[in-house]
Amino acid sequence: MRAIDRNLATCPICHQLVRFPTHRRTGEHYALCPRCGSEVPLRKPASLQNTLALVLASIVFYIPANLLPMMHVHTFAGTESDTIMSGVLYFLESGSYLIGLVIFVASIFVPILKMLILLYLVYTVHRGKTTRRKERRRLYLLTEVIGRWSMVDVYVVSIMIALVHFGGLSEIRAGMGAVFFLLVVILTMLAAMAFDPRLIWDTPKEHYA
Amino acid sequence: MSRHLISCHECDELCALPSVLRPGRYKCPNCGHTLFRHSPGMIEKLYALHIAALILFILSNWFPFLTFEVFGNSSEANFTTAVQYLYQEQDYLLAVALLMTTVVVPMSRIILILLLVAPLHYGKVPRFAPYYLKTIEEITPWGMLDVFLVGVLVSIVKLVKMGSIIPGTSLWAFAALILVLAYGQTIFDPHPLWERIEKAQKEGQAERFGEAGR
Repeated sequence: MRAIDRNLATCPICHQLVRFPTHRRTGEHYALCPRCGSEVPLRKPASLQNTLALVLASIVFYIPANLLPMMHVHTFAGTESDTIMSGVLYFLESGSYLIGLVIFVASIFVPILKMLILLYLVYTVHRGKTTRRKERRRLYLLTEVIGRWSMVDVYVVSIMIALVHFGGLSEIRAGMGAVFFLLVVILTMLAAMAFDPRLIWDTPKEHYA
Repeated sequence: MSRHLISCHECDELCALPSVLRPGRYKCPNCGHTLFRHSPGMIEKLYALHIAALILFILSNWFPFLTFEVFGNSSEANFTTAVQYLYQEQDYLLAVALLMTTVVVPMSRIILILLLVAPLHYGKVPRFAPYYLKTIEEITPWGMLDVFLVGVLVSIVKLVKMGSIIPGTSLWAFAALILVLAYGQTIFDPHPLWERIEKAQKEGQAERFGEAGR
């Protein structure tokens, strides 16, 4: 038995089960949680649209994030710029395979994987697929857990900026790539939050209830 | 609705809870998602852990974090030095994001948990408890200190070839802070806290109605 079949929904804030005052197909979109006073929707409102919009925005931002430099290294010999990929290649060439792998996974593999998973989830829910629910649930969990780890690259840039700061001798400054990459991380996190995992388990006609 | 029913956050399955809870994790029978954790003594543990976390957090912001030395030139960095430099270079978005995810959010989370848990430990429910708990749950995903630690490790490896890195007092305090916060995160479960709040609300209402009747 699922909560939706009994006209019940969980409060997103305090996890209290809340009964919907009227039958859900006759209009009422929110119930008020008696415990914490927040609005309780039966499902996250416009979940698919919001997720799709945020994922598409993050894909758009992902292009400049990769093409523009993450940081500029100013030395007396001139200025060097580093993109995400050149940073990874630098580590691989200099033999630190583990660190190269961490950066590659965190800033290239994870964001792309996350976007693809969310697109796949939105697509399957939209088409009303009822197969592979357990696998899809695992995929969703994965996006929630690994999403924040993409921030590693932004932090690396910021720590380099703080440590390599010798006035005119050598200095590191942030590039536009870092800003776009930050936006990609934030947008994919918001997209994962906008997606309602309960939709995976709903039977198709319940979607727009 | 009966409080012995709970619906799974992931798949919306209605699950009946046993009336006597044993310590440990309770899983959804349909999808296997963790419904909640029952850990007795959670409030006391959270209280202790977050006092420790508060002290460690202040320590890691107080002392130098890392020092980097090349050819006799040294530059020292505190926890928030990067924010300062980014602000000077007018990279406001990066500066704000860095400040929020590594200082503001973790700090307010520690303080809010203390504000909530300290009175509960002494048997009182704080007046704004629902708002505290609400805010705690909303800001939790945006605190990224553990990710920051990995970032620190990566940049140490990156810089160690160019000069010498001297770890400061803060780095050790920060590493300890991550451990304390991680443990606090694993035992944190909002359900029993909400139930305490609900109970207090009902008692408060009963009292008020009692006075009106007199």
